[in-house]
Amino acid sequence: MMLKVVAICGKGGVGKTTVSSLIAKALFQKRDRKALIIDADPAGGLGMALGIKPRRSLSDIKNEMIGSIKKGKSDKKDIAFMGDYLIMESLTELGNLAFLSIGRPEERGCYCSINNLLRDSLKALAEKFELTLIDGEAGIEQVNRMVMRAVQFLILVSDPTVKGIQVAQAIQKVARKISPRTKAGLLLNKIRSEEELKQIRAQTKLNIIGWAPEDDTIREFDANAFSFFQLPTCPAYKGVIKALEKLKIL
Amino acid sequence: MGLFDEPFREVEDFLREKQGLKQIRELLLKPGLNWLEEASLILEEESALELGHPSQGSLSFLVWSQAIKKNQDRILILGPDLSELKEKKVLFGQIIRVYGSFPDEYQCYCQLRDALYQTRLKGLMVRLIPSQQVIWCRVNQTALAQGFSLSHLGWALIKKIKALSFVASVEVIFITSGKKDLNRLKPAGEKVARISGALVKMVEEKNFECESCEYWEVCEKVLELKQIRNRLNQPARR
Repeated sequence: MMLKVVAICGKGGVGKTTVSSLIAKALFQKRDRKALIIDADPAGGLGMALGIKPRRSLSDIKNEMIGSIKKGKSDKKDIAFMGDYLIMESLTELGNLAFLSIGRPEERGCYCSINNLLRDSLKALAEKFELTLIDGEAGIEQVNRMVMRAVQFLILVSDPTVKGIQVAQAIQKVARKISPRTKAGLLLNKIRSEEELKQIRAQTKLNIIGWAPEDDTIREFDANAFSFFQLPTCPAYKGVIKALEKLKIL
Repeated sequence: MGLFDEPFREVEDFLREKQGLKQIRELLLKPGLNWLEEASLILEEESALELGHPSQGSLSFLVWSQAIKKNQDRILILGPDLSELKEKKVLFGQIIRVYGSFPDEYQCYCQLRDALYQTRLKGLMVRLIPSQQVIWCRVNQTALAQGFSLSHLGWALIKKIKALSFVASVEVIFITSGKKDLNRLKPAGEKVARISGALVKMVEEKNFECESCEYWEVCEKVLELKQIRNRLNQPARR
């Protein structure tokens, strides 16, 4: 079965956004599927890594919809249509990819109905794409959110540190409780040697789907804020591609 | 008298003027206009045309009249049809006039609005916001190459709307001619938005504090809105 919704999670600083960027690049290069790339990290790192400046985030859309309600608009259907329109208008498109940033919630107060309308609009849109890739917020918190319920596969990213692996294990535990059908796999990042890899394999029961070595090209791109779409084929990229092939995402 | 009489008349005047100038074409409702119904996701790279792209402008609204006009459906176009368009992104107008009897205005409004939104055709992606009178359609390259035209869209809209029992005839007007024509109809569109906004508010909120209502002015002007308000307010008085 082809995976339709994949999320990338992990502890902060393990290279989660780098992995998401490499997946986006691989999907763009292969160009065989329409993919929706969602930057669910309020820090918006994925957009920066890909050299994309989102026109409007989902939070901005929410604020516009709240603004309409505050101005006296009560027609729920019309507000739902507005959500559909604004989400489409806010996508940054590049070939077969469409990028959407979730942004940072700003409006105070309870806006459950708007959240529900937006979630439905986003779900309906995502269903039309052949693949939706969600770059999650660091840590466990986001796994609890509704958006994760639709995720079929969780790519847990970790560096070789014990903390990184522990957070990955904790995320998997929470995800299993919420959605027992969601599968998960560990993608190890910044691996320096075969020996290090062996040690991790011995330490964890997580399903290791692949690994990417520590890579100077990635470091250079990160340091200079170059778009990962311009990244040449490098060992880390090859490692991620191998994992994606294993998961039949590529 | 009807809820949308004033904007309806404004569209009528506009059409008369354009017909006098021979700028309007009527597209033939010939057999074979059925296009496969399917919701499409169209990305920019595969789209051949973007009608009413947010950067270009658009206008979309629906008005109705109780005038008796049975089975006189028609599609009118002002400007080039899809295959004749020279630019990829063009401004776009889609005005719909519906003839019939509308006993429950709110229910009729909701059903007509939903019918518009549920018109889905293979190779066409539509986004619209009725209250803002905007519409944005993407037509993909395959559909255009296969001959998709505004006749197909118009016919699909007519079919969808005529499936509603209270509808007798449907007239679809497409505008691709330019900003000037679109701007001429904008005031009518704004009136429609105000009237429907007031209608939805009074039915859904059941709030009749007219002094503080943002639609007070339009309710004072449109007799039918006043009547609906009085009708809705009656049980509360008992």
